[in-house]
Amino acid sequence: MPSVMLAPTPGIATFLKHLKHNPVDASIENFVSLLKRRQIRSSRPCAIATTHLLLKVVATFRDRDVAKLVERIRSVGQQLIAAQPREMAVGNIVRRVLGLVREIAEDDADENPDSTSMGDSGYLPYSNLEPSGLPTHFSNFSPPKHGSALPQKSGLSQSDSNGGDDNSGQGAVAVEKQLDRRPPLLTSHTSYVASAMAPQVTSLFGLLSHPHTPSPTATPPLGTQSPVMKPGLTSRVLATIPDASAAKVDIKAEVLEGIRELLDELDQADDQIAAYALDHIHSNEIILTHTSSTTVQRFLLAAARKRKFTVIHAEAYPNDYLETHATIMQGRQKSAVGDDEDERWSPLTALGITVIMIPDSAVFAIMSRVNKVILSPHTVLANGGLVAAAGALTIAQAASVHKTPVIAVSGVYKLSPVYPFDTEELIEYGDAGRVAEFQDGEMVESIEVVNPLFDYVSADLVDLYITNLGGHAPSYLYRIVADHYRAEDVNL
Amino acid sequence: MAPKNKKSSAASERQKDVDETENPLQAVVLADSFEQRFSPFSMERPRCLLPLANTPLIEYTFEFLASTGVEDVFVYCGAHTDQVENYIQQSKWCSKVSPFAKLEIIRSTSRSIGDAMRDLDKRSILTGDFLVVYGDIVSNVPLGAALAAHRERRAKDKNAIMTMVLREAGDKHRSKTQGASPVFVIDPTKDRCLHYEQIRPRQSNHFLNLDPDILKHDDLEIRQDLIDCGIDICTPDVLALWSDNFDYEAPRKGFLHSVLKDYELNGKTIHTYVVDECYAARVKNLNAYDSISKDLISRWAYPLCPDSNLLKDQTYRLQKGNVYKEEGVILARSCTINHRTVIGKGTAVGDGSVVSNSIIGRRCLIGRNVTIDGAYIWDDAVVGDGSTVKDAIIANEAIVGKRCQVLPGALLSYNVRIVDGTTVQGTARVTRFKRKRGYDRDEVAKGASDPKVVGEGGDGFQMEKEEDQEDDNMAGLGTSGLLVYNMGNLSLSSDSISTLNSDLSEEHTGSHDHYRASSFASVTSDDSQPSRGATEFHHDAAAGIYDSLQRGDATDNIQLEFNSLRMSANASEHQQRRAVVAAFMKRISALIESGSAIPEAVKQTIPVHRTLIERVIFDKSREAKDDQVDLLLLIQADLVHRNAGDSILVFVCNSLTLSDVIEDRGFEQWWNNERSVQGEEMAKVRAKTQQFIDVLLADEESGSEEESEEGEQSNDDDDDQDE
Repeated sequence: MPSVMLAPTPGIATFLKHLKHNPVDASIENFVSLLKRRQIRSSRPCAIATTHLLLKVVATFRDRDVAKLVERIRSVGQQLIAAQPREMAVGNIVRRVLGLVREIAEDDADENPDSTSMGDSGYLPYSNLEPSGLPTHFSNFSPPKHGSALPQKSGLSQSDSNGGDDNSGQGAVAVEKQLDRRPPLLTSHTSYVASAMAPQVTSLFGLLSHPHTPSPTATPPLGTQSPVMKPGLTSRVLATIPDASAAKVDIKAEVLEGIRELLDELDQADDQIAAYALDHIHSNEIILTHTSSTTVQRFLLAAARKRKFTVIHAEAYPNDYLETHATIMQGRQKSAVGDDEDERWSPLTALGITVIMIPDSAVFAIMSRVNKVILSPHTVLANGGLVAAAGALTIAQAASVHKTPVIAVSGVYKLSPVYPFDTEELIEYGDAGRVAEFQDGEMVESIEVVNPLFDYVSADLVDLYITNLGGHAPSYLYRIVADHYRAEDVNL
Repeated sequence: MAPKNKKSSAASERQKDVDETENPLQAVVLADSFEQRFSPFSMERPRCLLPLANTPLIEYTFEFLASTGVEDVFVYCGAHTDQVENYIQQSKWCSKVSPFAKLEIIRSTSRSIGDAMRDLDKRSILTGDFLVVYGDIVSNVPLGAALAAHRERRAKDKNAIMTMVLREAGDKHRSKTQGASPVFVIDPTKDRCLHYEQIRPRQSNHFLNLDPDILKHDDLEIRQDLIDCGIDICTPDVLALWSDNFDYEAPRKGFLHSVLKDYELNGKTIHTYVVDECYAARVKNLNAYDSISKDLISRWAYPLCPDSNLLKDQTYRLQKGNVYKEEGVILARSCTINHRTVIGKGTAVGDGSVVSNSIIGRRCLIGRNVTIDGAYIWDDAVVGDGSTVKDAIIANEAIVGKRCQVLPGALLSYNVRIVDGTTVQGTARVTRFKRKRGYDRDEVAKGASDPKVVGEGGDGFQMEKEEDQEDDNMAGLGTSGLLVYNMGNLSLSSDSISTLNSDLSEEHTGSHDHYRASSFASVTSDDSQPSRGATEFHHDAAAGIYDSLQRGDATDNIQLEFNSLRMSANASEHQQRRAVVAAFMKRISALIESGSAIPEAVKQTIPVHRTLIERVIFDKSREAKDDQVDLLLLIQADLVHRNAGDSILVFVCNSLTLSDVIEDRGFEQWWNNERSVQGEEMAKVRAKTQQFIDVLLADEESGSEEESEEGEQSNDDDDDQDE
């Protein structure tokens, strides 16, 4: 056989393979060109690829200076974002990782005030910025809830709202993680509750060091800080003190650990979201959804196991209709990410759900009969608005006319701290050939064909967001943003 | 032909072993197309570095290759190799982070694509299936499926040597080639291409010549609606074929056409992969440049758009109405930027100017109250206040003064300076350099300025028109001309069949003009039409007969082989004669060169194989001896190029008379034919035959009964004179 193993068309799979075998700079370049060529597109693949890339960037980073590490990640992030600014998930992940590094660095500095290893420059500017930044403000705002939540594990927020079996799985993961060197700190990086805590800690330090002390050595010694903290936190800090000698080396290891957890989060986000399905989808409801989305599909599948309802699927012509058809027929997109075949993929119809596919133009007509609209955003913005596949705005507006609730299901990784000052900028314009046939020469010659890939749906058209952390009102999203991203990272 | 076939099959055998192992995908980029359709711009810079939507053309090619997962790239350069090499070496494609495992620039002295392919075969660097693309391709077609289809076919049948990727387009399409339009005859059940021909707009008859065998297929598609952008997936056998047929020049007109014709002979099949979505086009000429630029701006080639920022330092952003601006564009408050415009970094547009449907490069200065519509202005150009530029190209650092009018179709090359208040005509191709046809490569020299074109004190002059310049008209007013393949570039070796071949083609391209008026209507109607099929038949037949003559095969066997070739190619009588003449003359001159005397050489050839010649003459019984005249004309034309051609002609004529192949009447008509004295060389070569004819004609007058005797006598006279 003449070379059966033909070089596959580049995409996320080849990128991940490439990442394993090549120097990191080549991989960055590879990712940049894949983004430019749109061979990696849509939020989840972008997020996964970015996380893997940053994992490698951090792993190959040789310098011990945290400030330089931050600078490095930031510069990589800038390249990636410049390549395709409309894939916001890339920027989100970069910001998450930056926040992670800063947090670890700050914790580390707090624990070892004498240690000079992390570099004054790396740490100080941020702690000075802190008091005026968003996170400080909000974490001061409502400390009790988060404070009390802290000693628990990452599965916490799920365990509040959903049943046992899912939580046990989570718990197992968490316990496994806990066996690592510094369990409480590590698990806290990605969980929003815990990370909400982190700014709080630093902000308290910030408050204490507020008189603009020029160097960390001038901050009050450790002993004076600990009483300020909650009991759980103290124990954590105490537990880490013996490790202080190894702290220099550990920063990187911790960051890597944190990034891996981020990967886990990406992996589990859909499951976690799906766990809320039964709270929102009731028997005999008519649900309208749009385009093909793994998240929505799993959400509906989770509900379909227990309840009978009807799904109306708008096909999202001309950009995603083939994927939509595939989702309806096979239950998954043609170009599913990752090679692990999930056996749970089956079309909704296999579970006895009636699925009706309609063209986008029929949305308004049918809206009067719809009980709920479920949207899957491309990006969620800090103001509560969202960017989703073209057609979403029509649906949202039709729903608002009929007072039908609109629910957006999205992992936290899609949540961007960027405020949409110019909504035009968010919208990508795609291949005009999908709208009008390129074959038609006269048409091509004389008509301007526009094919927007996305719609911007403003916050007032969305009623509820369901993320892997639970349900939130659009007006509450700024809080999650503040909990996940550092103010200094918002503008990379 | 037999030994050649063996060789190619041996080559494929060799390749088969290599195929078994795992191969990275390789690609050959023909950065030079060996044409000059981009004059005057291509005089100073290679065409693959000309900016398309402010990005050098070759970037699109590399981007396409990278997006299909190609690992090894070989770039073939012809003209301006240094510039191409410099550019590539500084680009990201050569850096450590390049997506290509290997990128090699091959310098070559090739004068045609055929030469390049044969050179490639000699180097044997291509191990497995590979892609051949031009350095000016713009495409986002995912080749995965095409490659898979190719491999699958190949696994089943070793003879499926090539797959062409074609893009469907309607009847009329701006991105299709203007001028010669390719016609593909495809068997849709197997995606096999059965026949290929190019139809020219000026061709008098719009007919395809189909082999009757083709009609035996149940399904046939004859398609003229395809954009052929030159993406070929080839196996190494393709290179072997190129090598075996040393006269192939162009990949389509030459290679493809002949391989399809020779299907009976070598059994190789060529397939097509027609895509009906995605984008594929070639920036073949300025027309295509214009339309592909428009396609890019209107996002037909998404994700290849200006805002994909293919180059690292580009920062284009899309704004409403397909306006793309880089960071650092300076726009006066009162200027208007209309739809479908691209503006590069550092460009300033002055007050009251209106820019629409245009691409403006970096660091350009557009003055006040300028109107720019449909223009392509490359980097660092200046357009002065109050000027108007419409549908024109202004190259790097060119300066258009104040209050100038640049009319549609004008091309201003690098550094040209147009003085204030000048009107540049639409036909203007203003340049500062002249092309000189050098011995082995064209040189470029600076020419004197012509104030008529650029105004008093300007810089530049109207470029002289070249033959392949005609179809470059930007405005596309249907002036697309005859795409005469540039035979002038051929390296003519004086003693090979390919010489005959090129003569043939030349003669044929001219045949419309020359023959039509002449009295030989029968000759023209026969052969002017299927001229390209003739090339292949001629080549095969002439080579075959020559080989047999050399080996000393029996006449009958030669005749048999020739007949079968004739049948399969459906060759006209004229073609048969041409082939026979070519082979015989070559044989004779070969003998002479190896030391035989001229009469000896002729005697060894013609009388022995006279039946061969007799078989191609069909007018013995008729009054008008057209066939005989034609044969003699062919002999005469052939001998023009040979050493001592005039002497040979005498002996050949003599010998033909003796063997009763040509009648006296035939000689007479030949002699009186205007074509036999057409041109100095023809007259010269027949000068020595004058006496022979005189004697012959005298004999005829004296009496027809003793014709043969007299003829003999006269011949003896001739011999004496010569020796």
